[in-house]
Amino acid sequence: MLSLIFTWLIVAWGILSCIYMLRCAWTRFPKRDADDVIPFLYPVDISLAESLLDPATDFEFRWNLRPRQFRDAQRKRMRLYLELTRRMAHNATVLVQYADAENNSCDPRRVGLASTLQQKAIEVRIYSLLTRIKLHLWLLLRSELLTSKPVLAHLRTAGDIDGLQTYNALKIAAAAAFVELPPDELESLTRSL
Amino acid sequence: MKLLAWFIPLGLLALLFCLLLQRRAYKVCPWFFTYVAFAVAADSGRFVALSHPHPYRTTYWITEAGYDLLGILVMYEVLRAVLGGLTLAWWARLIFPAVVVAGVGMSLARANAVPSRLSGIEFYIVLGEIAVRFAQVFVFAGLVALVRLLGLRWRQYPFGVATGFGLYATVMLLTTIKFSDFGTRFKLLWGWTSVVAYSVAVLIWIWFFSVPQKAENQNPELSALSPGDLKQYKDALRRMR
Repeated sequence: MLSLIFTWLIVAWGILSCIYMLRCAWTRFPKRDADDVIPFLYPVDISLAESLLDPATDFEFRWNLRPRQFRDAQRKRMRLYLELTRRMAHNATVLVQYADAENNSCDPRRVGLASTLQQKAIEVRIYSLLTRIKLHLWLLLRSELLTSKPVLAHLRTAGDIDGLQTYNALKIAAAAAFVELPPDELESLTRSL
Repeated sequence: MKLLAWFIPLGLLALLFCLLLQRRAYKVCPWFFTYVAFAVAADSGRFVALSHPHPYRTTYWITEAGYDLLGILVMYEVLRAVLGGLTLAWWARLIFPAVVVAGVGMSLARANAVPSRLSGIEFYIVLGEIAVRFAQVFVFAGLVALVRLLGLRWRQYPFGVATGFGLYATVMLLTTIKFSDFGTRFKLLWGWTSVVAYSVAVLIWIWFFSVPQKAENQNPELSALSPGDLKQYKDALRRMR
């Protein structure tokens, strides 16, 4: 009986995967070029992320606020960092799609830059995914109620990936990949990331 | 009608084999190339032996064992191609053995729940076949989850190979667990569903391999940036700080 239930679950998983692949093939974004990148990006305030992940800020909040106020403040900061990681993940997806299109270029330099961009974007996606799972769990279980934890500074790395460092590397890779844009557009790209 | 059911998958496989040769897929996916070459040879062998019951039976079971072995090797190749570019973490090497163990476990559990009428080597071949199908669905569904979660490019050869196998394996598992309720009509339904699902899988492979894919080059020899581009790049980096 149990094996039958598992078999049905696996078959259902397979069917859903087939439907998803069909949807990907049907609704794919037309080849994303440089014009389709900047308007689709969400700005990520890296200095804000740095301050959220700073252990000293955690300590300062804990020192200055009452336990209840501290818990509320922590929840707000968690929600804020969740939004930042959502934006990071979204920007990384847009850049992966751009790099996909660039991979078909005849110029080996552009292909090389696109590969680097894609690699960094995937690392950002992995970091964002792991961090968001952790944050959702913390928010769902209200883990800060029991121990006055979690400490946001622990989110700096996830799966051996330093989130902010990798996001900065992604920005550098994007600047290199889009170097041929006019200066005002390149500036707009760096501001939008 | 029976001949048509033989000719359609065999014809599609021959077309796929030519396409793989043209795309030099033996360099990118050597085990999948071997699988397709074996499938063309195996189906031709079965077709030749069709009117001789004893040689047909022998050919059928030998080629079925070959399909099992190559099916799992192709899954190894797909996982290595996708995960190799994603992570160097030690646990990534455990994914394939875990998939195989899960597939064998599910196949054994099924054999225990629904006793087979086969015995001896034939029983083990069918057991292996069901384990490979479970493994193929696991790999396919896992890769689709990666596409969804990490935004990976899905239009690449390893995903195409996994999609074809995943679709076929899903349909065959569904057929095995559901159509067995139909009693004597099961054999007919199973045969036709198998032919249609396999033909669709081969069409998926043809579609994926119809587009050339550049081999991954980890260290491309980059031409230097022009002085103007270099200045602009430095300006962009300065603005980021």
